[in-house]
Amino acid sequence: MASFLIRRLIALIPVMLIVLVIVFSLVRIIPGDPATTLLGPGATQQQIEALRTQLNLNEPVVLQFYHYVMGLLTGNFGYSLKTGQPVAVEILNRLPATIELSVLATILAIVVGIPIGVLSATRPNSLFDHLTRVISLLGVSMPAFLLALVLQLVFANYLGWLPVSGRLSPYLQIQSVTGFVILDGLLTGNLPGAVDALQHLLLPTAVLAAFLAATLGRFVRNTMLDVMGEDFIRTAKAKGLRRRDVVLTHGLRNSLLPAVTVIGLKFAEMLGGAILTETIFAWPGIGRYMFEAIKNRDYPVIQGTTLVFALLFVLTSILVDVLYSILDPRVRRKMG
Amino acid sequence: MGEILLFLRRNTLALVGLIILLVLVGIISVGPWLTQYSPTKLDILHKLAAPSLEHWLGTDAFGRDVLTRIMYGGRATLAIGLGVVAIAFAVGVSVGMLAGFAGGWVDALVMRVVDAILAFPALVLAIALAAAFGPSLQNAMLAVAITLAPQFARVARSQALSISVKPYVEAAVSLGLPAHRILIFYVFVNGLGPLLVQSTLALGSAILQTASLGFLGLGAQPPLPEWGADVSANLQYVRSAAWVALAPGMAILLAVLSFNLIGDSLADWFNPRRRSEID
Repeated sequence: MASFLIRRLIALIPVMLIVLVIVFSLVRIIPGDPATTLLGPGATQQQIEALRTQLNLNEPVVLQFYHYVMGLLTGNFGYSLKTGQPVAVEILNRLPATIELSVLATILAIVVGIPIGVLSATRPNSLFDHLTRVISLLGVSMPAFLLALVLQLVFANYLGWLPVSGRLSPYLQIQSVTGFVILDGLLTGNLPGAVDALQHLLLPTAVLAAFLAATLGRFVRNTMLDVMGEDFIRTAKAKGLRRRDVVLTHGLRNSLLPAVTVIGLKFAEMLGGAILTETIFAWPGIGRYMFEAIKNRDYPVIQGTTLVFALLFVLTSILVDVLYSILDPRVRRKMG
Repeated sequence: MGEILLFLRRNTLALVGLIILLVLVGIISVGPWLTQYSPTKLDILHKLAAPSLEHWLGTDAFGRDVLTRIMYGGRATLAIGLGVVAIAFAVGVSVGMLAGFAGGWVDALVMRVVDAILAFPALVLAIALAAAFGPSLQNAMLAVAITLAPQFARVARSQALSISVKPYVEAAVSLGLPAHRILIFYVFVNGLGPLLVQSTLALGSAILQTASLGFLGLGAQPPLPEWGADVSANLQYVRSAAWVALAPGMAILLAVLSFNLIGDSLADWFNPRRRSEID
């Protein structure tokens, strides 16, 4: 396992280098002189020179890149042009909100998507199967901002059941322990706070989960149909096993493995979707932070958040590989 | 033609998708001639009017007819989708085919770059690139195309890999045909099927992503009508006049859905395992 992990990490190095080059280039492809553009029209020559020095713009590009990477390794993601705060600190403050949202959405998508996939696969071409196919295609075709708007209108404005946006009602306070509001509420014995936080979380979670649940349901259905045609399923049936046991212990178990990969990959896509969702629901995570940075043309923040999204993606894919090898002994043996 | 009709008869959902698409294209291409309204002319006296006989989908905050804006915006949105996929197809397929056909260090280099681009969530990279290029429709299209190209490169590469060992390619090589001829007339032409399926599915995501960029203010700039930008421009009125934001949003949903219905059925059709199940 250790050697597999090490090899996996080494294979990552060239890819991560190119990722760094892309993120590094983001500021350099701005038309004109980056420092002048970054500071806007009101900047004095002195300020521009100071920023040029701070960004090492007077050095050759290769050296600039070296300084950038060295800075990243020591946790220096640059400074926000708007607030002057270190980007790394600002991102760390907002990371729990994003993780809380996307992890919960993933769980919701799994809980909804997999049973739907299994039920469709056990009744292929039935009315239920066709219906779920249409719903899942609707789910992947729906712009996240449209679903968010509709849910806000129905559940917050019309029915008044749930809050429109934000992470916690303004009159409530939760002492921060871990940064995850619901968890903190429970840990500090602040039950009303935790319930309020959960209510705020429901709509954005649903929006974020919709896409993944739709993809997952469809995917599980298709793999499961393939698996149910395999020889060992026929053997299991011939042994006289109950249909439920055949479907769940033989069929589902073998269909779940590829689903792990899809969940991992889509989790990353969901992080991209979080930018839209967080913006609409005023959710204080890194997605909204990135959106505000775009509005303010705060390039160091755009660079930092882009890099963090890529890092989260890459870490997820490693995690998926590790999970895969735990779940499937054949893969483990091959990987050594 | 017979094959297409057979495909549509067997795939009700694809037929539904095609009908939605044709209706949308019809409205978008003919509609602007039938409407008496301008998509950009202001009419403050009639702002935020509810849907009525004069304004089927109501008017927006500037008194512009929402249906007219959707018809003009649809031209932009569909052209964007086609444009983005065309760029992504051209770049991705040529690079991927070359990588699969040439092998060796070319392949290794191309695939590392592809992996690196795929290491970003697509929307995040598109947003970051569009922000760096500067907010405009062209830049948004370019940004989305860059994030879609690797998918084409991957499919094209695997097609090239499996086709370049086929006997007819070996025959062409031994006949001494130049490499570019083999690549275009043998490898590319025979590997086109899965790439077309990929294109149909990519059209949906191209429209969705460009609309998302427009929604974030990085795509089409006002007063140019574009569905995503129109949703975002009218967000603040959604509680009192839901139609201004929901109508263009629904238009995006329908357009993307039509491409996904067709693409999903096409993917099944080209997959031999699935096809037997449909028959």
